Amino acid sequence: MILAGAVTAAAASLWLLLPRGSENRIARRAGLVLGAAALAGFIVTGRRLGGLGEEAVFLVVSLVAVISGAATIVTRSPVYSAIWFALSLAGVAGVLLVLGAQFLGVATIVVYAGAILVMFLFVLMLAQPSGLAPYDRVSNEPLLSAVAGAVLLGLLSLSIGRLAADPTCCAAPARQPAAVTADAAATSDTLAVDQVARLGGELFGRHLLAVEVAGVLLLVALIGAIAVVARGEAALEDDRRLAAGGARR
Amino acid sequence: MNAFLPSPATIAALVKIGLLVGGLMTAAAYLVLLERWIAAWVQDRRGPNRVGIPLTKIRLFGLGQPLADGLKIILKEDFTPKHVDRILYNAAPLVILAASLAIFAAIPFGSVLPPLGIPGLPDPVPFLVAPGLDVGVLWVFALSSIAVYGVLLGGWASNNKYGFLGGLRSSAQLVAYEIPLGLGLLGVVLAAGSLKLDAIMNAQAESGVWYALAQPLGFLVFMVASFAEAARLPFDLPEAEQELVGGYHTEYSGIKLLLFLVAEFLHMITAAFLIVIMFLGGWHLWGVTGSSQEVTWLGALTRFAVLSGKILAVIVFFMLVRWSWPRFRFDQLMNLAWKVMLPLGLANLVTVAAVEEFRPQLVSTLGPAAARWAAIGLPWLVFLVGWITAGILTPSGTDNTPVRTHGPHDIERDILHHEDRRRELAGTP
Repeated sequence: MILAGAVTAAAASLWLLLPRGSENRIARRAGLVLGAAALAGFIVTGRRLGGLGEEAVFLVVSLVAVISGAATIVTRSPVYSAIWFALSLAGVAGVLLVLGAQFLGVATIVVYAGAILVMFLFVLMLAQPSGLAPYDRVSNEPLLSAVAGAVLLGLLSLSIGRLAADPTCCAAPARQPAAVTADAAATSDTLAVDQVARLGGELFGRHLLAVEVAGVLLLVALIGAIAVVARGEAALEDDRRLAAGGARR
Repeated sequence: MNAFLPSPATIAALVKIGLLVGGLMTAAAYLVLLERWIAAWVQDRRGPNRVGIPLTKIRLFGLGQPLADGLKIILKEDFTPKHVDRILYNAAPLVILAASLAIFAAIPFGSVLPPLGIPGLPDPVPFLVAPGLDVGVLWVFALSSIAVYGVLLGGWASNNKYGFLGGLRSSAQLVAYEIPLGLGLLGVVLAAGSLKLDAIMNAQAESGVWYALAQPLGFLVFMVASFAEAARLPFDLPEAEQELVGGYHTEYSGIKLLLFLVAEFLHMITAAFLIVIMFLGGWHLWGVTGSSQEVTWLGALTRFAVLSGKILAVIVFFMLVRWSWPRFRFDQLMNLAWKVMLPLGLANLVTVAAVEEFRPQLVSTLGPAAARWAAIGLPWLVFLVGWITAGILTPSGTDNTPVRTHGPHDIERDILHHEDRRRELAGTP
């Protein structure tokens, strides 16, 4: 019941907060209040972790992740959006660290916050954000996207809540899809030793084919990118030759 | 036990954090003085030698200088220009300093203390804030990539052309040199079989072969890349004062500038720590420190002293390089990263992987002693070959004759030709 209310409140708050043409102060405030209510609802319905300290740290990092995730899509400036996204990723990494998935947490920061987002910021800063057209700074279909997000959120919370309530599901780590969750479930304490070694064993044992395929895919992408660049130069040369009256190679 | 009382492990961690942060900040202040002394020595000046104990006439070779420097920069006006993006402008120095300090959570600053006998504390007590972190090297890597945000945001939020150019240069440089840095690091991780920095030190102490000796190519690549990551002189383009005033911190003053400068010094200290821990044996010194995990108080202090001495030596090397090398041009910088350091790093990784893979076969065919020398000799062979190849294939590139590229005149000519061609095409049905 509380969950349904929280999901509805989250949807309404997002709908009110998403940027549109005109600034409406009252809608903004109402959205903030509703968002806070939704967060409180989620906190009330959530399951408790072990100790008090763990609980507090988890609460802080998950709130950072959720709030800055919402702020990512709510802010108008692309640069601020990227910063909020980085903060959200840091929150997610914190959640993963608290839950004992150290490698995944640190890898999130290295890959997303450290590499991809820096690239984003680089491009965003080169393209002056003030030069954007107004229709680029408002969201398309705010109602639909808020509702879709809320439905997804509600379904996920419900199904995960059921899974967690079912005592038979999480006993067998073999049924867990990802290696990391199996790891985290098998050793509940945060300071598990040999985490990376076990993760590596899992990846290069059971999931060897997937890892190899991903590697080949990345290689293909790399070669493709180089080919596009090389083709670009060749095309330029072709154009030049064409312009000079010559024939295409 | 009461749930609200912190456990002994928490208290130990807090004590370590306090010692580390206090030590680092003091070290940064005195390293500035050391840097000024070395600069003076290289340039044949006297350097700062006046400030001693405050309110007295005692000079003490200028050892009071950091206090005067700090007071001066803190008391200066903290001016915020009107045209900046206020939130990000204020956040940038905090981000960069927080990230550079948080790196040290995973960096050991000694070996282990002998058992203290306090219940609830792990025995022996490691010199490391987060001993349970199994991904220490990756943690360092992740947080140093977070520090890029400080530079980028500072440059952008200043709304200043010099600052912006400095931020762009810096982020391009840091992103480019992260790859050779990672490759140099991977070789060590592969050989030690662990991502924990203290385990890497222990592996070197046990075998007695520092990774600088076993992987010379990796050492070279890592060293150059960490100079670039710390933005020290051959690679200090982000803040080249002759071109960009101050780069990304042009618009900063007072205590915010201090935060940026301290963070920069911390980057250099981090780089020195990593070089020593990963390649120069950490606390290990042949015949002086043992290699076992059981130590006396004297042994623990000796190891701490050895590690600190090595780090100081590396930092002095950093400072000497600063005053003996001219700055790279930006294209040279990028060429060095992508065309020289990246292939050399890959060569090192392949060599290390081959040596580690075939070590059992080597031991069984040659015997342990000869196998050890072979495992050291092969990487040195690759090192020499790689060095010579890099030297032959990429000429020094120091000539400054302008390279003929597709300039504005060519583009104009191209456009004219294209228009001719289009007219021609339009004319023929």
